[in-house]
Amino acid sequence: MSYLIDNNEGARYLLMGNESIVRGALEAGVKVAAGYPGTPSSEIIESLSKVGKEMDIYVEWSVNEKVAMEVAAAGSFAGLRSLCAMKQNGVNVASDFLLHLAGSGTRAGMVIVPCDDPGALSSVNEGESRYFARLVEIPLLEPGDFQEAKDMAKWAFELSEELRQIVMLRSVTRMSHASGNVVFGKLPVSDVHAEFKCDGFVLDPMEGIMTSAPVDYRHTQQQEKLNKAREIFEDCPFNTYDGPDSPELLIITSSACTLYSREAISILGLKDRVGLLKLGTTWPLPPKLLKKYLSMTDRIMIVEEVLPFLEENVKILAAEMAPEIGVKTFYGKNDGKIPMVGELNPDIVVNAIAQTLGIDYKAMPDEYANKAQGVAMAGTPSRELTFCPGCPHRASFWSIHNALELDGRKGFVCGDIGCYTLAILPCGFSSLKTTHSMGSGTGIASGFGKLGGFGFDQPILSVCGDSTFFHTGISALVNAVHHSSNFTMVILDNSGTAMTGFQPHPGLKVNALGDEVPSIDIEEVCRALGARVEVRDPFDLEETRKTINQLIEDKQGVNVLILRQICALSPEKKGKKKYEMTIDEEICLGENCGCNRVCTRIFRCPGLVWDKEKEVTRIDEVICTGCGVCADICPAGAIKKSSVLKEVA
Amino acid sequence: MGNIQLSKDPYNIIITGVGGQGNVMASRVLANMLVKKGYCVTIGESFGASQRGGSVMSHLRVSRSSIWSPQIPRGRADVVIALEPVEAIRVLKDYGNPEVKILSNTRAISPVGVIAGELDYPSMEEIKKSVKELASDVWFIDATDEGLRLGNPILGNIIMLGALSGVGVLPMDREGFKGVISRSIPEDKIDINLKAYDMGEQMVRV
Amino acid sequence: MRIFGPNELLEDVVKKDLCIGCGACIYLCPYFRSYMGKTAMLFPCTLTEGRCWAYCPKTEVDLDDLSKRFFDRPYDGDPLGFHGSVKISRAGSKFGTGSFQAGGTVSALMSFALNKGYIDAAVLTDRDGILPVPRLVTDPDDVLRCSCSKYTASPTLSALNQAIKEGYNHIGVVATPCQGLAIAKMRSNPTRIDDFTDPVGLVVGLFCTWALDFRAFDAFISERIDVDKITKVNIPPPPAEIMEIYTTDGKQEIPLDEIRKLVPDTCSYCIDMTSEFSDISVGVLEGRPDMNTIIVRTKRGQDIVDEAEKEGFLVLDDIPEENLEHLMWAANNKKKRALIKAEEDGLINTNQEDKRSYLRLNPEALKNIVA
Repeated sequence: MSYLIDNNEGARYLLMGNESIVRGALEAGVKVAAGYPGTPSSEIIESLSKVGKEMDIYVEWSVNEKVAMEVAAAGSFAGLRSLCAMKQNGVNVASDFLLHLAGSGTRAGMVIVPCDDPGALSSVNEGESRYFARLVEIPLLEPGDFQEAKDMAKWAFELSEELRQIVMLRSVTRMSHASGNVVFGKLPVSDVHAEFKCDGFVLDPMEGIMTSAPVDYRHTQQQEKLNKAREIFEDCPFNTYDGPDSPELLIITSSACTLYSREAISILGLKDRVGLLKLGTTWPLPPKLLKKYLSMTDRIMIVEEVLPFLEENVKILAAEMAPEIGVKTFYGKNDGKIPMVGELNPDIVVNAIAQTLGIDYKAMPDEYANKAQGVAMAGTPSRELTFCPGCPHRASFWSIHNALELDGRKGFVCGDIGCYTLAILPCGFSSLKTTHSMGSGTGIASGFGKLGGFGFDQPILSVCGDSTFFHTGISALVNAVHHSSNFTMVILDNSGTAMTGFQPHPGLKVNALGDEVPSIDIEEVCRALGARVEVRDPFDLEETRKTINQLIEDKQGVNVLILRQICALSPEKKGKKKYEMTIDEEICLGENCGCNRVCTRIFRCPGLVWDKEKEVTRIDEVICTGCGVCADICPAGAIKKSSVLKEVA
Repeated sequence: MGNIQLSKDPYNIIITGVGGQGNVMASRVLANMLVKKGYCVTIGESFGASQRGGSVMSHLRVSRSSIWSPQIPRGRADVVIALEPVEAIRVLKDYGNPEVKILSNTRAISPVGVIAGELDYPSMEEIKKSVKELASDVWFIDATDEGLRLGNPILGNIIMLGALSGVGVLPMDREGFKGVISRSIPEDKIDINLKAYDMGEQMVRV
Repeated sequence: MRIFGPNELLEDVVKKDLCIGCGACIYLCPYFRSYMGKTAMLFPCTLTEGRCWAYCPKTEVDLDDLSKRFFDRPYDGDPLGFHGSVKISRAGSKFGTGSFQAGGTVSALMSFALNKGYIDAAVLTDRDGILPVPRLVTDPDDVLRCSCSKYTASPTLSALNQAIKEGYNHIGVVATPCQGLAIAKMRSNPTRIDDFTDPVGLVVGLFCTWALDFRAFDAFISERIDVDKITKVNIPPPPAEIMEIYTTDGKQEIPLDEIRKLVPDTCSYCIDMTSEFSDISVGVLEGRPDMNTIIVRTKRGQDIVDEAEKEGFLVLDDIPEENLEHLMWAANNKKKRALIKAEEDGLINTNQEDKRSYLRLNPEALKNIVA
């Protein structure tokens, strides 16, 4: 049983930020939760799914973020507290619905939790979801530590209910994926009945119809809700100040930057000189509260990730209040004290404060820093990202690369988001030439495939994961078939949402709660759409390569090639070797003409290691997963595979 | 071992290694052991893309009274547990100081660039020399190899935790370890984990 | 002569669009493969010396070196290369009849050589539609399946490399001039392999003025004819000036001038019309679609031809004087055009360190040809 549902009020636990949010939602009595996996948000729905049965919560991994938000909204409309969670990109996907939902309002408390990824630690963007709150005019909360993540999540439901409006609770990687101590509150005893009341007066928020029209009326309502939120935020305990009454410098911050700022002040020993205003309610800003603290000093530094959201909003308020509070000097993104790109850390804040106050600070003695730098430069080979040992993607991209090189007509691959995004790098033989959002490789390919009339004659491939196929790949495929575009869509089907930890998707027979559900057969769907469909095992390199070459010769319509092989990290495969791999050192050609280390120089599976002394390849038995693919790329037959099905202890 | 007082507050621990080594698991177990002793612990870690062959670090801040930034400031590590030896050096470059203690596994995991013959991996002697130059106390143990001998290389992490206990800088003990793992691993695996923990403790005492 | 590697192969051949796709580099390593008549390099290779560069017929070749190695004398620029007798021939009654081109001499010779154990395998060129496909044949009865000219560049030598890997060591090859040159380079063991033994038992060279680029030819033909219905392609000897395409629906004729547009530029650098580095060379005979011209160059070639005639596999006759004269004129013409072109590009006997030649030949021979 998960500790997240320990009914142990007052007990202290070590929780990951995402788990804290979940505990807060549980304490609020959440009943409906939906999301789409994406780092760093995945543990929210994941953890809820594990307690869904015991706590009587409907939890689903939806097909995409927009649908997730719609599913959660239905819960709210029917009187159930609901939550939807997603990474920052997901808010873009859901934003069409979000705009309209903000217009219609909600009923039972509804919270959207976007987890932003400043520094793009596991993303291909560092997009900001906070601007959506301002854009669609809904309240925004940002927890500043782990306890607050729980408490604020609980409060967000209450706030939403009070306002009849969706509330955004924004987290970041260093909050979601960091852990700290959290004291548990009480779990509610729930007894709810779901009903959607819609027979009342049409404009009645609780019994009328749920829509954003008539726009002038609803929009006015929406802004009144925002004004109410502003009032509530004036006295909110999540906005705190720590520091002297008249600080030399006032730092205004939110989210994980609170912890960085607090540590920076501590490191520099400036508790008596620098004040820290930590805001938990960052949109709309409470003007009276801001006025009080802005009046304390003339120098204000704003510390936040990533874009100057707070900075802009505080400056607007400061400009309006200037006749009363005087002219202020601001430090932050705009003057370059705090970088506008990437994530922050205590050192960046230390340096910004030190620079502003003219303090000399060195994190390390020069001598030590130089020595450490020198040793590291000489002795730490960098670690480039690569596919895991035994990853089907390495095999798939091997065949894709070879097919395109053989074909010789400058073919290329359009990719999107998943582990296979790594195919931009040498681990995927640098095959991907475009990568944007979920499903966009196929959409872009659909466009390229219509350029023949302009002399375009390069073969086009798109790659898309199985989960991504359902997310947005399918709509791109529909578009392509309907418009008679000409390209080959390769669906890299590894039977799960592998990158984020094997969440189920509509192609699988089980849902988030572990119930058996109807699965949707990708192959049948593609066929029904009118595409020519082939299915291959990517571990059969030659057959896969041949098929790709045949498909890209096809000058008509859309082809779909499904490369089906389970992820090497999947629970089914992990720890089980299909083959025991060995090297015949007598036969290994090494660096000689005839091979020149094709396995370690080009294929680069981490399970294969070049032994410089003996000038042969070795198998690293700890790392090798025994997939057997490397045996088929060895030109000399020196890599041997023998069948075993061995379970590691 | 269980009643050692921390020499600093916050006491900063870095567990470093390579994606797939079980870094996150090790930091979880250690942090929970310390929480059970009444400490506030903050862990900062990054996973996601870094799992795929990249360096992975967990930052643990241990304090009597409060939580701290999930990222340790530069130059402020107190003890570094390196599940992979060159990662120890990489960490020292950013977080080292003359007083830092290093506990390192000896099993190298070659970066792809080394596998590909494009980069050089330093010899164990070179690594040991570099680490000794940059730290006050240094222990190198063959944790993965011993783990393999016990039947699973991943037990190397538990051996490292046992060794950390043996080093005597943190309030850790066997009972605390047992209490924490009992909640997260199947019952039939507990004995072998305890054996690995004991083994690690012994290895640094010799 | 200094040997270079794959990067120089890219520099000297691939980037200059000189690759004819002969297959000499295919299957030597994991990097070079053939597809649709074109050679592709799948991944970069870092070696500074490689068989790919050393065997390629389009990288530097020292004609004196090769000529001395195979014919014990320097290269003299003779229009027909070093040769013994020049005759006309056709398959004998013992070989039987079949769908072969002209006199069927090549099929008869290969079948005979396999039959008598002169060779343990034959590297031939089959076809799939109009795509030439290399074929390794060990049964004499299978030879005929690969008869008939393909007129498109073929990676035939990839089958030779595979045959060597499989352990055959008296391999017979039917080769175009470029392929014959590659085989000669390979047999001279340019990379000084320690335990090298010559795996080739017989080379039957084909006369060739050019070969077509497959993709270009395929695109050209597909617009006119249903490719799946093609049974045979033939260019009758001059003065016909047509290409005949036989299909299940009958025969179509295409003017040769239209076809010549599909010839890759690399063929215009080739100085060899009669496959000079072979044991026996065979081509068409002007004005006689039922016969071949046959040039014997080596003792082994002579022995096989003699025996094949004796056993009724081959019928030989003297070549009419005007045919021989015209053959020599045409062969010299090809040499002359190619040499002038290569010289204009600065590719003959280049001596600078950083610039490799395309051809090295002695000034005497060069003068003989261009004069």
